[in-house]
Amino acid sequence: MYDASKPGAPLTLDDVWLTLPSAAGPVEILRGVDFGVEPGERVAVVGPSGSGKSTLLAIAAGLERPSKGKVRLLGKELSRLGEDGRARLRRGRVSLVFQAFHLLPNMTAEENVAAPLEIAGAPKAGATARAWLDRVGLQDRLTHYPHQLSGGEQQRVALARALACRPALLFADEPTGNLDQANAAHVADLIFELAAATEAALVLVTHDERLAARADRVVRMAGGKIAA
Amino acid sequence: MIPLSLRFAVRELRAGVRGFRIFLACLALGVGAIAAAGSTAEAFRAGLASQAAEILGGDVAVDMPLREFTPKEQTAFAALGRVSYAAASRAMAEAPSGARRLVELRGVSETYPLVGQVTLSGASSVQAALAPAGDAAGVAVEQPLLDRLGLRLGDRFLIGNVPVVARAVLLGEPDRLSRGFNLGPRVLASLAMVRGGGFLSSGIPFGETARIALKPGVSVAAARAAIKNTLPSGGWRIRDRDTAAPGYARLIDQLEYFLGFIGLASLIAGGLGVSGAVGAYLEARKTSIATLKALGADGALARNTYLIQIALLAALGVGIGLAVGAAAPLILGALVKNELPVPALFAIYPEPLARAALFGLLAAAAFSLAPLGRARTTPPAALFRQELAGRIRIGPELIGALLAAAALAWLAIATAPTKLAAAIMIGGVAGAFLVLFLIGLAAARAAGWARRLTAGPARIGLANLAGPHSAAHTAAPAIGLGVALLAAVVLIQSSLIAEVTVAAPKAAPALVFTEIPGDAAAAFDAAVARAFGRPLTPKDYQRFPIATGRIVAVRGAPIDKAKIAASGRWAYDQDISLSAIGPQPADAGVVAGRWWNAAYAGPPLVAMEESAARAARLKVGDAITLDLLGRHLDARVAVIRKVNFGSFGPDFTLILDPAALAGANLRQVAIAKGSPAEEARVTRDLGGSFPTVNVISVREQLQAAQQLFDRLTLAVRGAAAVAGLAGLLVLAGAIAAGARARAKEAATLKVLGAARWQVLAAYAVEYGAVGAIAGLAGVALGFAAAWPVVVKVFEATWSVDWAGALALIAGAAALTGAGGLIAALAALARRPAPVLRAE
Repeated sequence: MYDASKPGAPLTLDDVWLTLPSAAGPVEILRGVDFGVEPGERVAVVGPSGSGKSTLLAIAAGLERPSKGKVRLLGKELSRLGEDGRARLRRGRVSLVFQAFHLLPNMTAEENVAAPLEIAGAPKAGATARAWLDRVGLQDRLTHYPHQLSGGEQQRVALARALACRPALLFADEPTGNLDQANAAHVADLIFELAAATEAALVLVTHDERLAARADRVVRMAGGKIAA
Repeated sequence: MIPLSLRFAVRELRAGVRGFRIFLACLALGVGAIAAAGSTAEAFRAGLASQAAEILGGDVAVDMPLREFTPKEQTAFAALGRVSYAAASRAMAEAPSGARRLVELRGVSETYPLVGQVTLSGASSVQAALAPAGDAAGVAVEQPLLDRLGLRLGDRFLIGNVPVVARAVLLGEPDRLSRGFNLGPRVLASLAMVRGGGFLSSGIPFGETARIALKPGVSVAAARAAIKNTLPSGGWRIRDRDTAAPGYARLIDQLEYFLGFIGLASLIAGGLGVSGAVGAYLEARKTSIATLKALGADGALARNTYLIQIALLAALGVGIGLAVGAAAPLILGALVKNELPVPALFAIYPEPLARAALFGLLAAAAFSLAPLGRARTTPPAALFRQELAGRIRIGPELIGALLAAAALAWLAIATAPTKLAAAIMIGGVAGAFLVLFLIGLAAARAAGWARRLTAGPARIGLANLAGPHSAAHTAAPAIGLGVALLAAVVLIQSSLIAEVTVAAPKAAPALVFTEIPGDAAAAFDAAVARAFGRPLTPKDYQRFPIATGRIVAVRGAPIDKAKIAASGRWAYDQDISLSAIGPQPADAGVVAGRWWNAAYAGPPLVAMEESAARAARLKVGDAITLDLLGRHLDARVAVIRKVNFGSFGPDFTLILDPAALAGANLRQVAIAKGSPAEEARVTRDLGGSFPTVNVISVREQLQAAQQLFDRLTLAVRGAAAVAGLAGLLVLAGAIAAGARARAKEAATLKVLGAARWQVLAAYAVEYGAVGAIAGLAGVALGFAAAWPVVVKVFEATWSVDWAGALALIAGAAALTGAGGLIAALAALARRPAPVLRAE
């Protein structure tokens, strides 16, 4: 079991490759990526479209398997885990925020936030969810469904959902990409503020250089490799 | 603590069941049909059981063929309780005008009926109706006899040579259902009249039945034992309330299974709708499933979340089906109760409903579990790459689906009255379904190839037909299965109707004459020839001696029914008609052995019908022993022959050489063909010269059979159409599942400048092709199913109702094409901009 209070990187990627088949032949999405995150560190991954940023995040979070290379997440070698094993590893300790929010459409805001807590078997999931929605300023939107919320509100629910279980590691994939300027700024503030408050390490994939500049470290990707 | 999967499932279900209307309808339709069939059958069974005493006419009935009960036997019966006697025979009724008609004559004792009421019009009681009036006996007759002979109540006429007066119209007898098939209108008379009129004489085929209302304290088992001790062995039969109307009980079993089978076929056809709805639902929930997994849910939690939803919806669909299936017979019963031929107690019966529910749940499992596996196998990476959908892989869900399908088949066979037939039917449906599915796949592939040769709307239509969401492998097999069932029913019926309206009248005799005195046979031939007014040839008149006998031993050993094959047991467990013929007749149908010479006078030889011979593994040269005219006769099988019963010839199971029965002065039976005018003339003229000869009109029997078919046709086709409806539901489901993609496609086409007619034409091509494929394949499979039934089971002439078959193909194409047009109109009705923005 990974203990964030003990020394050791919560995430390391060692020579990770991903090749996908396509009609025109195999496509190399990632080409020998080495990457790591320290406890509580905030890392921004930037690069042009198609450079492999989101794929890197998916592999790092155990959502996707690499074709080659090693991924170590919270002290576990992911290649040794099946899909269910990786899901159990994420429970309550690894969270994701997506550009398209990916809220569960048939659950209310409160239920969406409570879902990962419930999956992790945490007590008082409802109360925790309400508290977190309060922290993101949505205390009056508890019973609203995703389609009844604006984009900014949906992303705030997603952020509350991601952080409610106090993860060791938060992955955010273009979290402000679908938002207007004001909402984007608000959500960005919340991400950094709440990640710091929960002491979660943060891996932030973004196009936004100003947002990336708020991170402790910026990693640039191009052509499936880390450029700098 | 509520399990997490149940909590998540309930939250998901709050969105409503909109996407599951077809799922619910498919399940409800099949379950409703099975439940309605079972409930209706149960209502008839309960009706028969509730009136078993009336139907039987007492607690116990004893049937004695060909003789009356002796005084000793009557004394033994009287010791058991109150007894009524009835003797049944056939005779010719003749009006003063000379009009004649065969009647079913029944003489009853004064104690009749012991149970229930005889319904009469024109007389206050049975005794009043049957009381003599001068030299004429009183009788109650059915209205058709009065109509046929031009008589009214109070008129005198003859039955045989006995003068009678029609006192009452016979509307109903309480024990009518427990008696058999009728060749003519019924006449109820006193037992004294029937006995005194010579209708119970030796040589005439008649039977007497004693019905006993048991004394208090005498059980049916005790009565049965006492009767068995009283009667000599052989011939007679005892029935009690449990076996009051065995023929109807069998008919109800078969009817239930046929209707239930159609319901099951509907469930299977609708299964594609169930499977499609689950697949479409999981496709729409792909992102949710992937999100759940990104949040830490494992495959089992994701699968169980959706499994619980599908299970709850399946329970709802089954519940709707049960409600419909339970209510439909109640409503139908209220509407037609007075017209039913069999008593029925319409109510809600739990057992058939439970059975229907089990069928529905197993079908839901068989068709839902495999697509549900996708919830477990959809990877969280689907959030990033939409093309990643969970595939159906070998896993607990697929194994569960296969087990449910096997259990469904087992249940269908286990609950069937005839297991082998049920297994063939289930296997046939499964095979047909697989063939239709493969045809759909092949059609989709062919459409993909053919689209290169086309342009414009046709290319769009064919491209859609070849695409991943093609209706060719969803709606086409389901509609095809419905069409196949309908086609099989239409073709079987058309062949059987053609048999009774065209083939049988050509092949069968028009008239059968029975009870011709053996010593007046030549005079009878002359009388018939006179009435026809022309010389008769073997092509339109044949006469044979006839006797009744029973096979009592085979190869020297007494008959052991257990060793006789069921298919031919009829020849060994009852008296059968036989004849004695010298030279080999035309169309003798010899399949083994050689016919004897006309002058043969050696040890008795017999020609035997092949299925009867096969049942006891008899071969040429084997010995059989007959109980004939009160003595045992050993004969050697000389010929095994194929007999086409109902043809114009000596269609006897057994034919002996004439020397074997020399000196017996056998009664004769004759068959004749002629015009309706000749038939009427000979029937009338024989009244003067041979009043005791019964004239049976085969033409009338065929007409009655045709009327029966006509009445059944609509009901049977209506029932089969339920399976067709399931196919249309699947089509609707396929259209609904693709509605969003279709709206986008139509919007894109409009943006590209396509006119409405071009979009409509593209959809008409696609769905018209689906309907045509389903129609053609379905009708072809219907042919394959109907042919063996018509030719091998009914041994009828194969006659194709081309108009019906073409109508089915055109109907399938038109209905599916119309479905496609409706889908196109719905897609075109949406403005392109919002549709494209939504994507």
